[in-house]
Amino acid sequence: MCLFKPTGVQGKVEVGQQSVICTGCGCLCDDLDVAMAGGQLLEVSNVCLWGLSRFFPYKRFHPKKERRRILEPLGRLNGRLQGISYGAALEHAAEILGKARRPLIYGLTNTGSWAQEAALQLARNLKARLEPADLAFKAPYYHSVRKHGLYWAPLEVIRDEADTVLFWGANPLHSCPRHLVRYSVFARGRFTERGVEDRQVAAVDLYRTEVAKFCHLFVQVDPGQELHLLKGIREHLQGSPGPGPAVKGTRRLAGFLSKAEFGVIFFGRGAVYNQGLAVLDELGSLAAHLGEKQPFVLFPLASDFNSGGLYHLLFNELGVPEAPDFGHEGGLLTSAAPGDFDEVDAILVVGADLFWFLPEDQGRALQDRQVPVVSLSPFANRTTSCSQVVFPVALVGLEAAEVAYRMDGLPMVLKKLLPTAWPSDREILLDLMKAV
Amino acid sequence: MNIKITGGRLYDPARGVQGATQDLFIQGDRIVAHLPHPDRVIQARDQVVAPGGIDLRGQVATYGLNFLRLWNRFPSLKELGQLYAASGYTHVHEPFLTLYTAGYVHRQLAALPLVDTSASLALNLRDLDSSLKSPGQLEELGQTIKSLQEKTRSLDLRLIEPFVRYRQSYYSHRTMEAAKTLETLTRLALECGLRFNLEAGPEVLEAPLPETRAFHLAALGRALTEERQLEQALDHLEKGGTADLGFQARNASSIANEQPVKVDFGWYHPLNLNPKTKANGALGVMRLALQYQGPGLAFSVCGPVWDPTAEFPPCFSWLWDRAARPAAWERQLPGREFSLSEWAWATRTLPARLLGLADRGHLGPGARADVALFDLPPDTPSSQWAQSLSRCHTLLKAGEVVIENFDLVQPETPKATYYRRAGAEEGPLLAELCQYRSFRPENLWVADELGGAWVGLE
Repeated sequence: MCLFKPTGVQGKVEVGQQSVICTGCGCLCDDLDVAMAGGQLLEVSNVCLWGLSRFFPYKRFHPKKERRRILEPLGRLNGRLQGISYGAALEHAAEILGKARRPLIYGLTNTGSWAQEAALQLARNLKARLEPADLAFKAPYYHSVRKHGLYWAPLEVIRDEADTVLFWGANPLHSCPRHLVRYSVFARGRFTERGVEDRQVAAVDLYRTEVAKFCHLFVQVDPGQELHLLKGIREHLQGSPGPGPAVKGTRRLAGFLSKAEFGVIFFGRGAVYNQGLAVLDELGSLAAHLGEKQPFVLFPLASDFNSGGLYHLLFNELGVPEAPDFGHEGGLLTSAAPGDFDEVDAILVVGADLFWFLPEDQGRALQDRQVPVVSLSPFANRTTSCSQVVFPVALVGLEAAEVAYRMDGLPMVLKKLLPTAWPSDREILLDLMKAV
Repeated sequence: MNIKITGGRLYDPARGVQGATQDLFIQGDRIVAHLPHPDRVIQARDQVVAPGGIDLRGQVATYGLNFLRLWNRFPSLKELGQLYAASGYTHVHEPFLTLYTAGYVHRQLAALPLVDTSASLALNLRDLDSSLKSPGQLEELGQTIKSLQEKTRSLDLRLIEPFVRYRQSYYSHRTMEAAKTLETLTRLALECGLRFNLEAGPEVLEAPLPETRAFHLAALGRALTEERQLEQALDHLEKGGTADLGFQARNASSIANEQPVKVDFGWYHPLNLNPKTKANGALGVMRLALQYQGPGLAFSVCGPVWDPTAEFPPCFSWLWDRAARPAAWERQLPGREFSLSEWAWATRTLPARLLGLADRGHLGPGARADVALFDLPPDTPSSQWAQSLSRCHTLLKAGEVVIENFDLVQPETPKATYYRRAGAEEGPLLAELCQYRSFRPENLWVADELGGAWVGLE
């Protein structure tokens, strides 16, 4: 059991324990226990280093580096962020978003479903574009499903039955650390009682990551070789390997996959960095081909904790898991391609750190054009430092109740455990809706 | 509000009313015998007045169903709720809720506006096979199933695969074939007061059904491909059993193209969300519906529901209008035609009874005032019934006018999700079932926040 106790807490504290769901990543591990006293969090057990950063103000994987909590609403006055009242912040933000002709609501993959619903409504009211933070990762997957069909299984079934696991462009130890022990590799499922001994595990990546230490087969490819490798595997599986030189590991990987009785391919962001659409197309085709003989699941390894909830909402409300643009002249337009920031004239960032993910030149271009940014965040980050208005928010699943969808699309209720002075994302979005 | 509906032709098969012109009185959310001073009078001349419809098998919230939207822009849940209301329905029952998808299903059902909802708990017998093989454990098994039903907030029980079969060859010794399984389940049902909706496949109708009281045959459409299966289904009904038709909706196969769309729930076979329509299956359903003339047959469609206003009427057309039936069926089908009373029985009265909704499906005093009014003058030929009955003129739900003159006037009408409150005790078997899950039990069970408003039925 991994037990974390922040510095400053001495000896054993007599407090009751509560079960809590971790919002560190899309795993939504529900086997964490927290100890609290006097409205403060004292201990968290079973938590990974990533999840830890959700409960305590430390940086991801660096529990000794503190993150600064935003303590009050901030507004940029004379070029500097200064504390202002909640009402003033709301007024300022409403003015920015209300005046904008092409507003963008960005992120939402790291916030709860109720907040996502409010954001979608706000996007409708503002005639804004709403862009999920991980659109570049998920859109090629849905494109692939549309083309090759679907064989889907929740993590419960994968944990019980999958005997062949392939990670493609994914390093779960970094993106969702406990995935391996709870669902995919070391988990002891109904028919995989010996954990990793009952499974065959392989990985394909550009770099030799930590995953290689427990994989039975690790194939390291050069950038641009993924498609070649995938086509080679298909040819081997069909019994007609091409005449040219194959990528190293092709034959062994084909053999590995062909032995599966229940297989799953978890792909991560690495699969979409280079020719993402084509790679996912081939992965989908491969899974469909393997699925003709036995169950074979293609599964996106979403690292943001409620990415599943956002796409679920888009499916439910709009019918398409893409970025909706309510400001398009011809009516609602949805797009699978990440938006062009050139035409955006105001941005509302919720549940994401936009400037962390944006390429440097795009970020600089936004700042050069003085595009006003309104951000909602519990902690200071790159985006808050570039914002005109910053709202501090309660931590979802600790200071605010919410609903979130696990990466396999199963919803879970996140409880409010600690009192807080800060409103939740959802409350601020609803207030913004009234104010705009 | 107190309402009088006057001049309409009432179809209330539960009370033997078959099109008689009668006034109907509503006080608050209930139907009453008489009301001296109504606040409002609704003129229903040339209209059919029937209880609100109940879709016994409305596959609208199944886990994975959202993916079908990748191929077609079928209605959102909001639109789907409106379509159900527009076609005179006030309750939708989702057939596929499993132990770990219960939260998902309920959250989807909560997003379906206007209509009340409920769901069937689909059991995976593989999880229960040890107990099924131990006669001494049947009592505990029954309690566990009731407990599961309450914790997943489901209204009834469903068996997709009435056998125990493992995909892993080394578990083959634990196999239980359908006949043996059904025999055990019958004992379980009779001893513990349970009833199972048995998803009818050809294999199910091959096995003898030992006791009709224990099973309702669900979605017969997929199963009736051979003469023998038709006879078996008829035999079940003639003995006093119940079933629902499971029409394969006309446009189901054209909706999601040819791509496979399957979701693996850990059963022996995955659930196919894009099943292919079998022509002889539809013929089998028609033969059964027209040959059988008893009270045990309810209407339902098989597969995901996309648009009740467009999908249900063609099925009814076949039933009540000989001319609408494909010419190829002419010689194979009895010449009988359904009456409006049979329609009301199959879509309202019997579904309400099967779901245990005592105050629905009829228009007697004390019933909840869920009433649908359709424009259908008495001399309308049966060839035009489908068009008239596909959209209701007026819909009242719990005494509140939701649709008036074909327009939705009350989009925010309250709705609820119904489930069975069994009051069963949690035993060690329940803990055993939970031990293989990645969820802690408190997160496996459906929390209040994931659905509602909740109504527990005893």
